[in-house]
Amino acid sequence: MPELKRSARKTQLTPAIVAVELFLVVFVIVLNLPFFWMLSASFKPKSEILSYPPRLFPSEPNLDGYRYVWQMVPLARYFYNSTVVAIAIGLSNILFGSLAAFAFSKIRFKGSTPMFFVFLGTMMIPMEVIVIPNYISLNFIGWLDTYRALIVPFAVSGFSIFLLRQFYMQIPRDLDDAAEIDGCGRLRYLFTIIYPLSQPALLTVGLYAFLASWNSFLWPLIVTNSDRMRVIQIGLKALQDSWMIEWNELTAASTMATVPILILFFFVQKRFLEGITITGLKG
Amino acid sequence: MPAALIFSLFIFAPMGVALFISLQEWNMMASMEFVGLSNYAEMFQSDHFWNAFRISILYVIGTVPVTVALGIVLAIMLNSIVHAVSLLRIMIYLPVITSMAAAAIVFQYIFEPTFGLANHVLQSLGLPRLMWLNDPTQALVAVVIVGIWKRVGYNTIILLAGLQAIPSYYYEAAIIDGASKMQMIRRITIPLLSAVTFFVTVMQIIASMRVFTSIVIMTAGGPARGTDVLPYFLYRNAFQYFRMGYASAIAYFLFAVIFLFTLLQFTFGEKRVHYQ
Repeated sequence: MPELKRSARKTQLTPAIVAVELFLVVFVIVLNLPFFWMLSASFKPKSEILSYPPRLFPSEPNLDGYRYVWQMVPLARYFYNSTVVAIAIGLSNILFGSLAAFAFSKIRFKGSTPMFFVFLGTMMIPMEVIVIPNYISLNFIGWLDTYRALIVPFAVSGFSIFLLRQFYMQIPRDLDDAAEIDGCGRLRYLFTIIYPLSQPALLTVGLYAFLASWNSFLWPLIVTNSDRMRVIQIGLKALQDSWMIEWNELTAASTMATVPILILFFFVQKRFLEGITITGLKG
Repeated sequence: MPAALIFSLFIFAPMGVALFISLQEWNMMASMEFVGLSNYAEMFQSDHFWNAFRISILYVIGTVPVTVALGIVLAIMLNSIVHAVSLLRIMIYLPVITSMAAAAIVFQYIFEPTFGLANHVLQSLGLPRLMWLNDPTQALVAVVIVGIWKRVGYNTIILLAGLQAIPSYYYEAAIIDGASKMQMIRRITIPLLSAVTFFVTVMQIIASMRVFTSIVIMTAGGPARGTDVLPYFLYRNAFQYFRMGYASAIAYFLFAVIFLFTLLQFTFGEKRVHYQ
């Protein structure tokens, strides 16, 4: 796996470099200003949310916005739904992704190469094209407005398979042979030997699938319609559509939908950024 | 294999079904009526369709060049500095992992015409205030800004990895030859980065053709269809007017456009990638 390491060139601290650093710091602050604005607005009292000129910080920060949205819609339920769905999708991508990746990298079978490219090809098919037939078929089998509808179509992705295959290709054949000679079955080999070896890759795949699911919008918008099944992103839209909502309340809800993911990202960013570079450069 | 089953049920079969439905007139209630290519004919004669296509293209033109150019500049900068590289990298990437629904709500607040932050900034700089989301053209500008904000980090990170894959002996040779920093960027960095640049450009075009969430939240395609991009036009026809056949025809058109760019990437992109 290529690492995101700084190039070996010795860099000397010159005024030009300091200027570039300063520019980047300012740029990053401006880029992240919307996050600050979201946080600041979510703690503002109603009187300040519409004041002009806008206040940078709330004069008397309070939790009214949070309290209000929490009472107005079943936010806890939305969070629960989002979490259940995202975890299920993360885990199933690890399981099914590794099974397929294992087959493509370690088992020789007829048609494996064309099949792999067909699987890869699924990454090119945009959601928008298949959303109508999928909606119709799920409607037909009565899956609309269930967890199944949110989870099953995304239980595995071409991306997960591709990423894991890249990793498994690097596991030396000698190891495969040794396992076979010792009489280790294929599944046992995958679960007891390859899994521990490929922990970082599995984690990356799980994280991607989790995040993609957490942030997905179009599909849950279409297949859920009750409060019971709604995920947090659609909850945000529902809140926004309601008549008596103020910006401090909307930004409070947005903050709650965003901050857990941002915190998660801080913990896993190294793995995550490495992941996108692999697929980015080789995809 | 479970993967094969899921792909066939939820991706391959639907591709066929979508094609089939696109030849029907169907509202999900009454029985289907075979209408041949008339959905496609209607689409190509519809002003609303051409408007949606035009808006999508304008959105692509507005977002892609800026995100790519900015991505290159930021990547080169990040690659040449000494302090806080990893923190800056994380901070540049934050918008990418943020949910678009939440971001769009915050930007809607920022673009509020009477008391929003955007107009306050314009006014402080002595510039005229704008209507933003209440004006068709300015609303498009606003969603383009959000698109750039959301995706510039992706380009930066990929391009940065591309930069780091350029072997350092090119630069060492250039230094011996007495090349300036700017010359090195123009003669070494940019050419050797072209494959990665091409890749992120195509990825951004595809992503921009698919813009949806920010439109739903911020503008609902308006005002006066000023931000009615193709995916949103498709969504309304399918799930508000329940014209499944017509919407499937639009979906296939969108697919054709995206497929074209994917092919472009495969035919021209692959040949030029040569790392390690």
